[in-house]
Amino acid sequence: MSWEEIISEYKPVKQRPRRIWVNVPKEEVYDVIRKLREAGFEHLSAISVTDWLNEGVFEVTYHLWSYSIKTLLTVKTKIPRDDPVIKSVVPIYGMSAWIHERELHEMFGVVFEGNPDLSPLFLEDWDGPPPFRKDFNWRDYVREKFYSKERERDKAYWEVWLK
Amino acid sequence: MTENELWFYGLPFGPAHSGSGNFRVQLWVDGEKIVKARSDPGYLHRGFEKLMEYRMVWQDAVLADRICVLEPLNWNLAFAEAVDELMGWEIPERAKYIRVILSEFTRIQSHLIWFAGASIATGFQTGFMLSIGYRDYILENIFEPVTGARVYPTGYIRPGGVRWDVPKDFREKCEFTLKKVEEGVNDLERLLFSNSVFKRRTQGVGVLSKEDAVRLGATGPIIRASGLETDVRRDDPYEIYDELEFEIPVRDEGDAYSRFWIGKEEIYQSIKIIRQALDRMPEGPHTLRPVAFIKLKKGEAYSRVEAARGEAGIYIVSTGDYKPYRVKIRGPSLLHLIPVLEHLLIGSEVADVPVIYWSLNTCPADMDR
Amino acid sequence: MVETEKKVMARKLGRLVRAVWIFNWFNSCGCTELLPVVSSRYDMERFGLIIVDNPKHADCLIITGYQTIKSIKRVVRIYNQMPDPKVVMALGSCPITGGMYWDSYNTIKRLSDYIPVHMYVPGCPPRPEAVFQAVGLLVEHVRKLKEEVSRK
Repeated sequence: MSWEEIISEYKPVKQRPRRIWVNVPKEEVYDVIRKLREAGFEHLSAISVTDWLNEGVFEVTYHLWSYSIKTLLTVKTKIPRDDPVIKSVVPIYGMSAWIHERELHEMFGVVFEGNPDLSPLFLEDWDGPPPFRKDFNWRDYVREKFYSKERERDKAYWEVWLK
Repeated sequence: MTENELWFYGLPFGPAHSGSGNFRVQLWVDGEKIVKARSDPGYLHRGFEKLMEYRMVWQDAVLADRICVLEPLNWNLAFAEAVDELMGWEIPERAKYIRVILSEFTRIQSHLIWFAGASIATGFQTGFMLSIGYRDYILENIFEPVTGARVYPTGYIRPGGVRWDVPKDFREKCEFTLKKVEEGVNDLERLLFSNSVFKRRTQGVGVLSKEDAVRLGATGPIIRASGLETDVRRDDPYEIYDELEFEIPVRDEGDAYSRFWIGKEEIYQSIKIIRQALDRMPEGPHTLRPVAFIKLKKGEAYSRVEAARGEAGIYIVSTGDYKPYRVKIRGPSLLHLIPVLEHLLIGSEVADVPVIYWSLNTCPADMDR
Repeated sequence: MVETEKKVMARKLGRLVRAVWIFNWFNSCGCTELLPVVSSRYDMERFGLIIVDNPKHADCLIITGYQTIKSIKRVVRIYNQMPDPKVVMALGSCPITGGMYWDSYNTIKRLSDYIPVHMYVPGCPPRPEAVFQAVGLLVEHVRKLKEEVSRK
C-alpha cells in the first residue's frame, strides 16, 4: 500500500511541498504509523506533545521523515488530558522513539504503554507536577523557590512580576 | 544483567572530565571491556521549550541562539525559519544569502571545535591548538563585524530577514577568512587525518552500521559516515540551497575515523558554498519591514535545518497570540548522545570512550535544552 | 579579619601568585570563549595559567555560566575537594542574576548563595580579554595583600 493510500481517508492537509499534516484518531494511530514505516517513513524526526488546556486534551504529534520519498509527514492524535495513555511506538521505531517518549513522559506525564524504560531523564529530585503542562505556572514556582521576600536584592521580583 | 550488576566495576565518565563536559555516562566494565553503558543527561537543562512560551517572538529569537553554544547561528536560523513559515513570509533574496553564508561559517567553526575535541581525545595537543586557533579567524573576521559579538549573535538571523546588513568590506573579509580556513584544514589533513597514530586510534572504533544508524535516529555527519547519502540541505532545501552546487560526502565504514573525515570534507563543501553565495549575492533590502510586535498567525509549522551535528528541528504551534503556544526543539545530540552512544559503547574498550564520544560531534547543550 | 588570620591567608594566597592552576569545569556557554584562552590564539600559559584535570591540584575554579540544580551539587563537591587557598571565578551574566534564565525552574540564580565567589566577570559570554583582566586583578589583589602584611 502506498503512503498516500494509507493517509487518504484521514483528509491530509498539504501545507507546502514536502510538508503534510494528518489527524488520526487515537485508536488507529499505532497501525497508521506502522504502515507508514513499512511504506518508507523510516526516520522519526521528533515526537511532541501540545497541552490544550481549554479542550482538555493532549495532542501527540509524530514527525516522520522518509529518506526516499523526501516528505515530512506529521501524524497528530488527541488523547484525554485526565487519562494520558497512548500506545508506544518503540516496537516500530526502536530506541529513537524510546528517548523521545521518555522525555515527554517526564515533561508532560503522558504514559506510553509498552515503552521499556520511562525513568526521569533531565530532572533530579523533582517533586512537582510535570513541568511543561500548561496548568503549572512556572514563574510563580520560580519566585517561590528562588527569590526570597526578605532579601533586599530580590524585592523587585516580588513588587513587579510578569505573568 | 540485574543481579550480576555487582560483579562489574562501575566507572562514571564525566561530568567533570576533560573528555566530556556537562554530561555523564555510567559505564559497567568487565576488565577493559564495557558491558553496559547508561547516559545521564540533564546537567544543562534550562527548559527552553517552556521559556519560549513565556516570551514574545523577538525575545525568542535572541533566546534561540543559546540552545547550543557551539553553533548559535544555525539554531537562530531554525527558529527564524519556523516563524517565517508560520507567518507565510517570503524574505528578501539578500537576507537568504546572508543567512546561508553565516550558517556555513558556523558549520565550519563548529567542525573545527569537533576536531579540537578529537585531538584531545587522542592525546594530540597540536591539533587542538591548530583547530581553535584557526577557528578564531572566523570569530574575529566574520562573526564580530557582522553580528556584533564573537559567540552569541543575539538573534542576528531573525524572523523576516537579518538584523542589519553586512559591513561594506564583507566580501574581502570572507575571502581572507576562507583562505585561512583552507590553510588550516590542509594543515589538519596533513597533521591529523594522515597521522598514523590518529588513524590507529580511530579506525575500526565505534562502528555503526547503516541499519543501526537509521534505527537509532542518527542524522547529519554520523549517518553519512555510515553510508546513507542524506542531507537536509539537499533533501528538504531551505533558503537558497536548491540553487547552489555542492556535494554530500559519504563513507561506508561507519567508524570514528570516517565520521571525522566526513567533517573535514564538509568544511571543503562549506567553503565552496560560501564562495558561490558570495558571487551571486544580490543587492537589496536585508529584511522585511520590521514590526515592533509580531502577532503570530494561528497554525503550526515544523522547520528543519542541517546543523553541524545533524538535523535541527523546531516545531512551533500558535493560537494567534504574541507568544507561541508551544515550541518543540528537536536537537540532534539527544539521539546521538543517548541511544547511539549507549549502543556504540557496549563491547568497546575503556580507552576508546573519549574517541567514540567525540566522534559523535555532540553538544550536550542541545540535548538538554 | 584578625591580624594573624590575615597573615596566614596572605601567605597561602602568596603561593597562588606564581601560577594559577585552573580546574577544568568548563560547564556551559563560557567554555567556548575559554577555548581560545587555553589554546594558541590567546595562550594563557604565558601568564602561568594551566588547566588541570584534578580538583586536588587546582587553585582556581572557573564557573563558566549558568548552573542547573543538578550540576550545582557537583560544583559544591568539587569546591570542597580543592585544597585551601582557592579562588572561584564566575564568568558570564548567568551566575550573577540568572541572566536570561531568570525565570527558568532549573537554573540557579546567584552563585554566591551556594559557594563563595571571589570574582564575577560579566558578559554573555565574556571576551577572552576579560578573563585575563580578571586574573590580573586577582593576582594584583593578592600581591597588595602580601605587601600590606609584610609592611606591618
